[in-house]
Amino acid sequence: MTDGQGMHVSDERGLTPADLQSMRFSRASVLRPGYVETEVDRVLSRMAEELARLVAEKAELRDQVRALQAQMEGMEGVVAQQPPSEQALRILSTAQQTADNYVAEAEEFSRQVTGEARAEYEEQIRLARENAGAIIQAAQEAAAKITANATGAPEGGQRSVEELEEQVAYLKAFGQACRVQLRSYLEALITDVETEWGRADPAGLPPGAPRPLAAPAPRGNTASSTTFEANTAAETPPSGEAGNGTVVSAASGAERRP
Amino acid sequence: MDIPAMRANFGKAAATGDEAPLYFYSHLFLSHPETRAMFPVSMAHQRDRLFTALGDVVARVDDLDSLVPILQQLGRDHRKFGTLAAHYPAVGASLLATLEHFDDEWTPELAKDWTEAYTLVSQVMIEAADEAAGQPAWWDAAVVAHERRTIDVAVLRVRPRTPLPYAAGQSVSLETDLRPRLWRYYSPANAPRPDGLLEFHVKARDGGPVSSALVRRVGVGDVLRLGPPMGHLALDPESDRDLLLVAGGMGLAPMKALLDQVARQGPSRRVDLFVGFRTEDHVYDAPELRRLEQEHPWLTVTVAVSHDKNSSLAQGDVGEVVMRHGPWLSREVFVAGPAPMVDDTVSRLLRDGVPRQRLHSEIFAPSRPGPSVDGEVTE
Ligand SMILES: Cc1cc2nc3c(=O)[nH]c(=O)nc-3n(C[C@H](O)[C@H](O)[C@H](O)COP(=O)(O)OP(=O)(O)OC[C@H]3O[C@@H](n4cnc5c(N)ncnc54)[C@H](O)[C@@H]3O)c2cc1C
Ligand code: HEM
Repeated sequence: MTDGQGMHVSDERGLTPADLQSMRFSRASVLRPGYVETEVDRVLSRMAEELARLVAEKAELRDQVRALQAQMEGMEGVVAQQPPSEQALRILSTAQQTADNYVAEAEEFSRQVTGEARAEYEEQIRLARENAGAIIQAAQEAAAKITANATGAPEGGQRSVEELEEQVAYLKAFGQACRVQLRSYLEALITDVETEWGRADPAGLPPGAPRPLAAPAPRGNTASSTTFEANTAAETPPSGEAGNGTVVSAASGAERRP
Repeated sequence: MDIPAMRANFGKAAATGDEAPLYFYSHLFLSHPETRAMFPVSMAHQRDRLFTALGDVVARVDDLDSLVPILQQLGRDHRKFGTLAAHYPAVGASLLATLEHFDDEWTPELAKDWTEAYTLVSQVMIEAADEAAGQPAWWDAAVVAHERRTIDVAVLRVRPRTPLPYAAGQSVSLETDLRPRLWRYYSPANAPRPDGLLEFHVKARDGGPVSSALVRRVGVGDVLRLGPPMGHLALDPESDRDLLLVAGGMGLAPMKALLDQVARQGPSRRVDLFVGFRTEDHVYDAPELRRLEQEHPWLTVTVAVSHDKNSSLAQGDVGEVVMRHGPWLSREVFVAGPAPMVDDTVSRLLRDGVPRQRLHSEIFAPSRPGPSVDGEVTE
């Protein structure tokens, strides 16, 4: 074989693994075993050059990769720290304010309606009380007059006490009925408000089916049907000839709640 | 840290009114959308809470000693909002962005100082939250009873799924799914019981989202979320001093809890309870009060009305009625209710010579200012 085989390597192309595999050196001579030294030396030096070039190229590439990586990381940092744009901030702020106003309006509506309803309720109660108070006072005065004027006649006195007590019971029932009626009226109003609230503030509603209103606790009341009779009866002026101290205390007891 | 400079800087943001908090939250929600769900839908009234607190707290880091207990409580409390350690830097970044945005003279020094202060403050909060990791962030509690007592007062009994440790006289914050993310304080009306039940007395406020939902919409079976307890009313276990308890309206709840504790655990002592309402119709707990008075010979109960001339109950503001019954100089005194009632009662008792250290009070402050709060806040 000839040394020419080994030296096919072109300078431009550099040394490839295939070149090395196909490379054949010439036998030196019968006297000297081995390959021709010059050929081997030349190939070795070409290989050294090639390796150096590869090492340099690799380093260069590694630097490039590092630079790119750093750039990427830097970019990520920049992206994360990038503040939201002024425009986005403005849009979100406006949206938030719209939501706030929406809820505020619903709250204000609810506040007004409940407030007005309560004021009305309390005024009615007050009037009813005053009314009852005036009647009771008249009864007390009448009773006092009777006590002062009359002596004896225990039968009549007894009847008058009973009558007054009866009227007191009517008054109580009337007051109670009044409260109960107003209460259910107000309940209805408030239920409306609550429903309105639910509509105006959908986020405030539970997901899924609308929830039934909490049932109000049952309250002891049986007097509502007697309202108007009680009222009429109570307006009848008390009559009777005689009385005693118990009348007064029973009558003033009507102002007390049981 | 240049604290005056930081305060001046915060002042500029605060001077814009609603703008700075709006900017802060928009910034936070845009850069960390996952935090949005922790806040209520409408933030009109709450908006400046967190933001103002941030400014207040962070600009006060020079007084860290007195701040630390508050911050620890705050950090533990924040777990109920779902706040995680990872959220703190997010809030910090948005705070800084806001402070920078509203200050033309923003400097790197300010940035450095705020960062330092914020880091310090949030560390205390995060550590306290971590230390509390053993207990729930909030307690789910099912409503087991709901009683309407008057047109706007309900008494609720709830059972937490896991025991909620608290002391009689404390309050817990509460959230209902009907009004998501709105947390309000309520005082249990009983001392801790073996069965874990808590009783709440709630008065619906006109236009008040949480209270009206609790009174008019919540029902048996609904689940409420309760936050960790807090508050300054508590009996000293070492003392058996006689008690004077004064309540305005819903202030009755913590007073009943204190009473309950005396009844359950002693030590035995005299207890005088005064409760004020506007009119007799507002007295939502009369049978129960009567029962307690009959059951306990050491207890007297006086119910007063301030706007009900026809009533046979004691007449006048409750503080006034209390003064008619004195002297109270040897008593341990507890007062709870709306601010004007508490202020009035406390100042009368102080004038009368009750030592300040024996006067304990809790104001049932509204969560936000409102038309009804100016002038007259009566039950
Ligand atoms: C320590 C503490 C303990 C409390 N304990 C109880 C309790 O046991 N029972 C109870 O019912 N409440 C209690 N409160 C008050 C409660 O936390 C709420 O503020 C109240 O229920 C109103 O909540 P809301 O969401 O319905 O109305 P908000 O949104 O708070 O307010 C709505 C409107 O009602 C007005 N308003 C709210 N609260 C009051 C008030 N107290 N007086 C006058 N106007 C008011 C507001 O000014 C506003 O205009 C307590 C408060 C504190 C700070
Ligand atoms: C140094 C850090 C912080 C401080 C000093 C702080 C302070 C406060 C204060 C004082 C309140 C009002 C509490 C109340 O009304 O009961 C509050 C509310 C709140 N905070 Fe923080 N906070 C901090 C960090 C955070 C973080 C990191 C989050 C999570 C994103 C967060 C979420 C909330 C929420 C959701 C509320 C309720 C708001 C509302 O009801 O409107 N806070 N904070």
